[in-house]
Amino acid sequence: MKSESSLFGHRWLPLLFVAPLMLLIVLFFYVPVFQAFYWSFFLEQPFGGTSEFVGLQNFQRVLSDPEFWAATGRTVVFMLTASSLAVVVPLMLAIAADRKIGLSYTARNILVWPKGVAGASIGVVFAFIFNPFVGLMAPLNALFPGLWNPGIDGTDAFITLVGAHVWSGIPFNFVILLAGLRSIPHTMYQAAAMDGAGPWRRIIDVQLPLIMPHLFLTFVLEFTESITSVFALIDTITGGGPGGATTLLVYKIYVDGFRGFDLSGASTQTAILMVFVLLLAACQFFFLGRRINYER
Amino acid sequence: MVENARSINIAASILLAIGILYIVGPLYLTLSTASQSYEYMLRNGLASLPGTELIANMSKVIHETNIPIQMLNSVIVAFSNGLATCVLSFLSAYAIVYFRIRWAGVAFALILATIMLPLDIRVITTYQVASNIFSPLNAILDVTGLNSLIETAFGSPVHLELSILDTHFGLTAPLVAHGTGTFLFRQFFMTLPKDLFKAARMDGAGPIRFLFDILLPLARTSFASLFVLTFLSGWTQYLWPLVGASTPDMQTAVVGLARLVPDADGRVPDFPMIMAGAVLVSLVPLTMIALLQRFLVQGLVLSEK
Repeated sequence: MKSESSLFGHRWLPLLFVAPLMLLIVLFFYVPVFQAFYWSFFLEQPFGGTSEFVGLQNFQRVLSDPEFWAATGRTVVFMLTASSLAVVVPLMLAIAADRKIGLSYTARNILVWPKGVAGASIGVVFAFIFNPFVGLMAPLNALFPGLWNPGIDGTDAFITLVGAHVWSGIPFNFVILLAGLRSIPHTMYQAAAMDGAGPWRRIIDVQLPLIMPHLFLTFVLEFTESITSVFALIDTITGGGPGGATTLLVYKIYVDGFRGFDLSGASTQTAILMVFVLLLAACQFFFLGRRINYER
Repeated sequence: MVENARSINIAASILLAIGILYIVGPLYLTLSTASQSYEYMLRNGLASLPGTELIANMSKVIHETNIPIQMLNSVIVAFSNGLATCVLSFLSAYAIVYFRIRWAGVAFALILATIMLPLDIRVITTYQVASNIFSPLNAILDVTGLNSLIETAFGSPVHLELSILDTHFGLTAPLVAHGTGTFLFRQFFMTLPKDLFKAARMDGAGPIRFLFDILLPLARTSFASLFVLTFLSGWTQYLWPLVGASTPDMQTAVVGLARLVPDADGRVPDFPMIMAGAVLVSLVPLTMIALLQRFLVQGLVLSEK
């Protein structure tokens, strides 16, 4: 590959090609990321004006705020429950759709539809479907008053969020996992069948081990996804309520920054969230490294 | 291979049926409620059967809300996001793969790192940059002391201001600052045979000619996949258009739809109209998925690899 004629030797042409994208990325990615960390060490005035270096005071203030820890706790709980469901449900569907049965073609088509429905749109729809007075649960509520009310009961609101998140996450995870399943060579199944493994047994012994890389990957991508994309769902379904029960970190940052004009606090929380997400991403690369072990 | 797989096939069919119901159910309820009147919904709650008011509810959305102009905004943002991502990513991947440059690895790493921190996380400071895109330049001039030099020479320091908030460019540009496209094209270029390049060089093709006559026709499918993927992501964005546009006629349709739901005032909102809005807003992307599903699936698989 490194022979003389294998690459073009221009000086300014490649610069010209990379420059437009790089300019956008510097302006809208690296500057904001840098600024979030920079501002977390300053006390910023909301409408421009002076800023004052305060060292670690912002961090002290944020870390001693019980609301911050509550929002972080909710974020972790949501991340664990919603993203496990958002991987396990598509996994079961992918294993089912990988079989040659009547429904699998239809399912492969329909299960990618949510990709075209915005998180906020499905949020509006779920807010209606799970409305305690006119929605799906209204008849049950008439029989057992107070059984379901996301407007009052924080757990109900949380369940609605998880349901909407899993709905939105099905297409990507389903497609990735199905692609993984379909790349398993047929001979593997035949060999397993010769050894006496039936179709149920082969799910455990052949399919799951061989799509482990895909499974890990969807999991770690889903972790980041569940932390960030949940904003649209919270804003349209619960508005962070009832009583802050669904105020996750990404929503709290928005409220603090754009409604409370607490730029330093919001930046500090952004910086903390970024470090958290980067640690998750580090896990991702760790798992990507593991893929080599599964090469077939 | 003949074996008895009846039990697993039945289980798989049931599972798929439930999955399809889970996906289609909310969409069906949206459509059926959108076709009922407000009074019917108040009396009966969720509509299990479609009614006759769909057109009436939709025309209410079209005539009484900002959704039509907001859908135009969405089309502009989604389309320019798709197009700009395709073109800029193609060019940068081309430079990284086919030119002998020392900084190729660094550039690729810098571009790829954007995948790790989504826009929703860095929204606070991205907003600050968008409210004056020259602020980084001003800061550099201040920090390096160039500005005090300019001040002594010309009387006043340089301070440029340009806000891209409330513009289509401002709604789109931060979405384009993303590495998936470059990654996708780089992967594609790597799969092409090396002899292709050598043969083209031997025939005397320069970088521009190679780009237009050989790579571009070969990359058609990748272009289509990436375009579908980024169009959909542009259409379905929520947080950025929410803060990036403050006036109703600059907001995107998804934000406008969320604004249709009134703040809690005790009254049950006009859900049939809102659902009709949800149908309208989802019509364009869902049609796209129905027509171009092949490319969407391919795009999803490629962007993961």
